[in-house]
Amino acid sequence: MKNCDQFRERTEAYALGALDPEERVALEVHLASGCPECTKAVEEARWLISQLAYTAPEAAPSDMLKGRLLQTVRAEAQSQAKPHALPSKSAIPFWLLAGVAALVVFSIYSAWNTRRLHDEIREANNRAADLVQQRQKIEQELLLAKREATILMDPGSVNIALKGSDAQGPQLKAKWHSEWGVVVMGENIPMPSPHHVLQLWFIPKAPGKMPMPSMMVRPDANGRFVLLVSSPPESMDATKALAISEEPEGGSPWPTNPPRYSGGVS
Amino acid sequence: MSPDATLVPRLLQKDVSAFEQLYDRHSRLVYGLVLRILQQASISEEVVQEVFLQLWRNADQYDPSRGPFVPWLCTMARNRALDRLRLKSERQRRREDQPDELPSAVVAPEYEKVLDDKRRAERVRALMASLSPQQKKAIELAYFEGLSHSEIAAALEEPLGTVKSWIRNGLLRLKEGLQATS
Repeated sequence: MKNCDQFRERTEAYALGALDPEERVALEVHLASGCPECTKAVEEARWLISQLAYTAPEAAPSDMLKGRLLQTVRAEAQSQAKPHALPSKSAIPFWLLAGVAALVVFSIYSAWNTRRLHDEIREANNRAADLVQQRQKIEQELLLAKREATILMDPGSVNIALKGSDAQGPQLKAKWHSEWGVVVMGENIPMPSPHHVLQLWFIPKAPGKMPMPSMMVRPDANGRFVLLVSSPPESMDATKALAISEEPEGGSPWPTNPPRYSGGVS
Repeated sequence: MSPDATLVPRLLQKDVSAFEQLYDRHSRLVYGLVLRILQQASISEEVVQEVFLQLWRNADQYDPSRGPFVPWLCTMARNRALDRLRLKSERQRRREDQPDELPSAVVAPEYEKVLDDKRRAERVRALMASLSPQQKKAIELAYFEGLSHSEIAAALEEPLGTVKSWIRNGLLRLKEGLQATS
C-alpha cells in the first residue's frame, strides 16, 4: 500500500498532465498492473481537473461554425441512411417485378411506335409537299398554256414569220399579242451544235440600238419547240424584227452568230 | 437522468437533432475553454469543430454509466486544444497519434451532484479564487498551457518541489471545496 500511496499523491497532477515524464511513466506502469484503487483515483481526478474548464470565460462561437457542423453531420447521416433506403432484392414482390418489366416493354414499344408514327408523318408531309409543288407546277404550266392559247387564238395577235437563212429550210411562226406576249413555234428545226442553244432576239427600231436578248430553247427530238415570252423586252411598236441565232449554252447578252431565223414585225 | 444522457445515445442512430441540441447546450463552454488555451478565435473554432465531429463520429466511445458527459467532452476538448498548442509552439512532448485519442474514463466522485452549468461555473470559480495566487497560477499554467511541473518551475523561477506543492495543495483544496458544497 505504501507503493500505492506514493502514486495516489500524484493522481491529480497526472490528470492535470503536469507530471514530468519519469513520474508519468512510473504511474502509468502502476496503472497498467491493474491497481483498481489508483485507477479509480485517476478517473475521479480527471473529473476534478475537468471542472477547471468552468474557470475559462464562456464565449460563443460564430453561427457559421454551427452551420458548417450541421452541414457535415447531415451529409454524413444521409450517406449512411441511403444504403438502408433501398429494399433488398428479396423484398421486391414478383408482381412488382412483373409490373416493372411490363412497363419497360410497353415503354420500349411506345418509343418505337412513336418513332414509326413520326417517320410516317414526316413521309406524308414530304409527299404532300411534293404534291403541292406538282400542283403549282401544273397550275403554272396551265396558266402558260392558257396564255399561249390566248396569244395563238386571239385575233388581235400579230403574225410574224421568221424565215430561215436557208431558203429551203423550215420556217418559224410567231404570234405577238400586245398584252399577253409572244409565242414562237417551230417544226423540223435542226438541232443546234453541241453545247449551243437557240436564242430569241428583239431587234429594236431605234437606229444603233443593240438587239435585246430573250429566251433560249432547244428543239425536241422531232425538231419541235414552242417558246412563250410573257414579258417581251421591247414593245411591239418599238420592235423592228424578231431573230433567232445559235448561241453558247446559257445564252449571250449580244448575238455572237448571224441569225438563223428572222422576221419583221409589221 | 440528465438530458445529455438521453441525447448522446441518439448520436449512435445518427440523430442530427440530438447533435444540434448537444451543440447548443455545450458549445459555449467548449469554445470558451479552447479559446482560453489557444487565444485565437479562428483556430479555436477549428478545434471545436474537430471536437464535435469526433463526438458525432465516435459517440460509442462515451459510456454514460462511467460518468457525466460534460467532463468527458471538456477533457476531449482540452486534449485537442493542448495538442494544437504544442504543435503551434513546436513543443511536442506527446506521441504524434495522441490527437486522435479519446479521453479515458472520467468518473464523477460520489460527492458530485448534478448541477447546471451556470451554478457549477460559479462554484468552481469561487473555489479557484480562494486559492493562493501562486497555487492558482501554477494550476492555470498546467491546465490551460499544458506545462509540466518542471516547465512551470522554470517559468515562475521557483523550486520544483514548491511548484509541486502549490499544484497538489491547490487541487486538494478545490476537491475539498467541491465536496463541502455538495
